[in-house]
Amino acid sequence: MMSVLKFSFVLLVFLGLASQFPVSVVLAQASEAEAASALVTSEDSVISAYQALSNASEAGANVSSLLVRLNEAGWFLSRAQIAFKSGDFDSALEYAAQCQEKLNGFAADADALKENAIYEHYMDFLVNVAGSIVGAVSIVCVSLISWFFLKRKYARAGISA
Amino acid sequence: MTSLHEFRILFVAVTGILVLLVASPALSRLLVFPRTDYFTELWILDSNHKAENYPFNVARNQSYNVFLGIGNHLGYCSYYLIEVKFRNQTQSAPNSFNRTCSSLPALYNITVFVADEGTRELPFGFSFEYEYGEMFSGVKFSNLTLNGVNLDLSNYAIKWDSGKKVFLGNLFFELWIYNSTMSSFQYHERSVGLWFNMTTF
Repeated sequence: MMSVLKFSFVLLVFLGLASQFPVSVVLAQASEAEAASALVTSEDSVISAYQALSNASEAGANVSSLLVRLNEAGWFLSRAQIAFKSGDFDSALEYAAQCQEKLNGFAADADALKENAIYEHYMDFLVNVAGSIVGAVSIVCVSLISWFFLKRKYARAGISA
Repeated sequence: MTSLHEFRILFVAVTGILVLLVASPALSRLLVFPRTDYFTELWILDSNHKAENYPFNVARNQSYNVFLGIGNHLGYCSYYLIEVKFRNQTQSAPNSFNRTCSSLPALYNITVFVADEGTRELPFGFSFEYEYGEMFSGVKFSNLTLNGVNLDLSNYAIKWDSGKKVFLGNLFFELWIYNSTMSSFQYHERSVGLWFNMTTF
């Protein structure tokens, strides 16, 4: 009777442990999957932000402030990747979230800078390139007209060239 | 009275100077010397931002600091990835002639964005934890702490170099660049590193 009780107790303990084990595995997997998903999202966000920044930079915008933000986001992404590699999924998730936070509204800011840069570039072209060419041509024209009148004045006065 | 011929020279000179002055903003944009060299610089400096006192004799659990610098002259804002690796004298190293990277796995990665004609210096603080083998036959590593992150080095070991009478280990940094067309990082054919002697107690 005693041995049956002992056996039942051991069996219960074993079943209890066995029932806990798959649950913990499932929980760990869920956390890993969550961290992996957050990491992929962060990587995509960083690449999208980099492309937005590149476009703004190509348009001639001053992207120094955006570059600081992107470098901070990149630092968080690196930390998230290292944490994920070492199996610290909670930290990976946290760093990935901080990376995302840094990039909130990044594309809109980059686009605004790009639009501003395009407008400034247009104005710069209008004033400095077109304006100065028109100015130079005007000076040549005014000089020619002045020369023409001066020559006529000299001709009337009877002074030869 | 001044002759018209003398006036003509003065007229042409004044007009020419005025035209050059007024057209200078446009000329400054047109007469730009074209860039022909597109490259990235990569350098390593000591803790005083100088190329002088690099750490060589590395003691156990002692912290050392270096700075890694990147200069971007590629003509566009670049997305770099720095892979930190560690090797002994016999393990795979980056090859500057074949332009290949080391086949060893990266211990630590950090992403950096550098504007065109911009530079960026990154601090790297590190310390090694290692033990000596029997009769000082080799060094067995347990971990590397890099910028506050503990990295597992349990598979790393160094044998005694009887010629130089040192235990040499090489910490090196490989530069990778993001290729937007291929949507992936590619080895940028640049690496810098430091050799350490693990014989200091």
